[in-house]
Amino acid sequence: MTVKRRRWRGHAATYAVFAFVAVFFGVPLLWLLSLSIRTPAEVFTASLNFLPREPTLHNYSAVLGSGRFQGYLFNSLRLTLIGATGAMLAAAPAAFAASRLDFRGRRFFLIGVLSLQMISPLVIMIPLYRYFVTVGLLDSYISTSFVYIAILVPLATWMLKGFFDGIPKELDEAALVDGCNRFQAFYRVILPVSVPGVAAAFVLVAILAWGEFIVPFILLSRPAMQPVSVGILSFQGTFAQTATQILAAGAVLAMIPAVAVFIALQRFIIAALTSGAVKG
Amino acid sequence: MAAPDTRGRVRVPSAPGLASRRREQPAPSAASGRVSYQGATPWLIPLLVVVTLFYLWPAIQALRFSFTDASLLRDQFDYGLTSYQRVLPSPSFLFVVRITLVFVLASIFFQLSLGLGVALAVQHGVRNRLPGTAIARTLVLSSWVMPGVIIGIIWQIVLSGASYGLANSMLATIGISPVGFLSTTNMALGSVIVANIWRGTAFSMILQYAGLQSIDPVLYEAAAVDGASKWQSFWRVTLPSLRPILMVNLVLISIQTFNTFDMVLALTGGGPGRATEVLALRTFNMIFRNFSLGQGSVLAVVMLALSLSFALLYVRLLRTEERL
Repeated sequence: MTVKRRRWRGHAATYAVFAFVAVFFGVPLLWLLSLSIRTPAEVFTASLNFLPREPTLHNYSAVLGSGRFQGYLFNSLRLTLIGATGAMLAAAPAAFAASRLDFRGRRFFLIGVLSLQMISPLVIMIPLYRYFVTVGLLDSYISTSFVYIAILVPLATWMLKGFFDGIPKELDEAALVDGCNRFQAFYRVILPVSVPGVAAAFVLVAILAWGEFIVPFILLSRPAMQPVSVGILSFQGTFAQTATQILAAGAVLAMIPAVAVFIALQRFIIAALTSGAVKG
Repeated sequence: MAAPDTRGRVRVPSAPGLASRRREQPAPSAASGRVSYQGATPWLIPLLVVVTLFYLWPAIQALRFSFTDASLLRDQFDYGLTSYQRVLPSPSFLFVVRITLVFVLASIFFQLSLGLGVALAVQHGVRNRLPGTAIARTLVLSSWVMPGVIIGIIWQIVLSGASYGLANSMLATIGISPVGFLSTTNMALGSVIVANIWRGTAFSMILQYAGLQSIDPVLYEAAAVDGASKWQSFWRVTLPSLRPILMVNLVLISIQTFNTFDMVLALTGGGPGRATEVLALRTFNMIFRNFSLGQGSVLAVVMLALSLSFALLYVRLLRTEERL
């Protein structure tokens, strides 16, 4: 077989996979988008036209006009930013210590952080709920944010440690020789160099926070406080049978922030994610 | 990412295997002499405080509640093994274990193979600058970063028996009568698995792609010189080289899938009947629908034990790769 022929077969196989991807991953999304711009009449006549005859943005204005949904989005944004920022603040010094300092229990610490990352938040929700009820912390953004931080901090620590490991130790040494103490070396020298890594970890952790479900579901009982990941579920209860086009528009709005940020920064995030794997 | 799991949580290894290069480096130690344990404490305090108060302590409480007959409906409870005796030998628990195993094993198989297939295609596409590569990769990744509840809603709409159900509308055009994707017992579990594959394939693709990139091209050249076909070099070079990362991936998919429940909640709610009530969802229902704190905690402890076993397995894998 000639090289050319081989390459052609490679191309054909590749496009076969891409075609599968387009159908399996793309079509459900397109269908959701299609439903979200339909009139009620066109939802209930089973039609396979992805582009509706009378496209309308009315569903989006209905969802956003309800006020409740805007509240959900705003609550998500608030919890996401506080949770991700807090997680980075707690993770950065710990990751630096795990990367640079040779303390007793370092390995145990790293394994512990890794194990925490694998425990489902579901496991801790009941005791937390009871505890929060007793001390009156239920329905509080502050206490809920701390739970977000605790859940996000393991991943943030592992990612940041990976970046710090990749920064030459000569840099700290130079800072120490210049009279910095270790904290100054970290704050003034290492952190500025690791901005890309810190940013990538922040975005990834923020995407996780955006999708977090069980924590706000249990700890924020008042609908007005809930983030969109929880609020959309009550939308599903209300609209799934009667007004699927509204539910579809809500689902699109709920996923767009996470998906858009990820698509905009994907090269950067993927590179950060896999740098540990490839470069060691 | 996908991240988003409770699966909303995506657990991403920042350092999966393949790190032979690391071996040459000495263990990290402070450049200017050893730093004492006391020196590290201030750095760790913020993390330790948050994690202890909001993660470790409640996890230990869950363990304590599992040894009680507590209920969310009353304040008093007794200690004992009643909850374990009620939950573990019951036929409904065995059923939950069975469908959870099917859910996890099917997810592992399809996510690994699809992830590898897409990774190979993307690699080929990138190397040959084929148009469409970036779109394909982005599509796969988009489904990963979505909140789990949204994934459940999307597939609930697509598989629904109503007029807006895409799958049945498509079947109708080729003359096949409607299929109860979400309403019949066997189909529903399959639908949950499909949705989970939709969500998790991207993560496998990312890992597999990184693994493929790190295979030394010399190996392929040597195989070609020996007259190996593409197929043979896939089996003899690609797969063996990917073995460590496939193992890491397998463990991570297992954990993510075991912990999945928000997506299932939105997709089938565990039904029809209890046909798709996987372990995590069963735990959730036991506590928040049946209000049985003791029995729910037993299930939570089962989940905890599973997570910790997988975490240890993962640590072992990293250690054999000398990553930790």
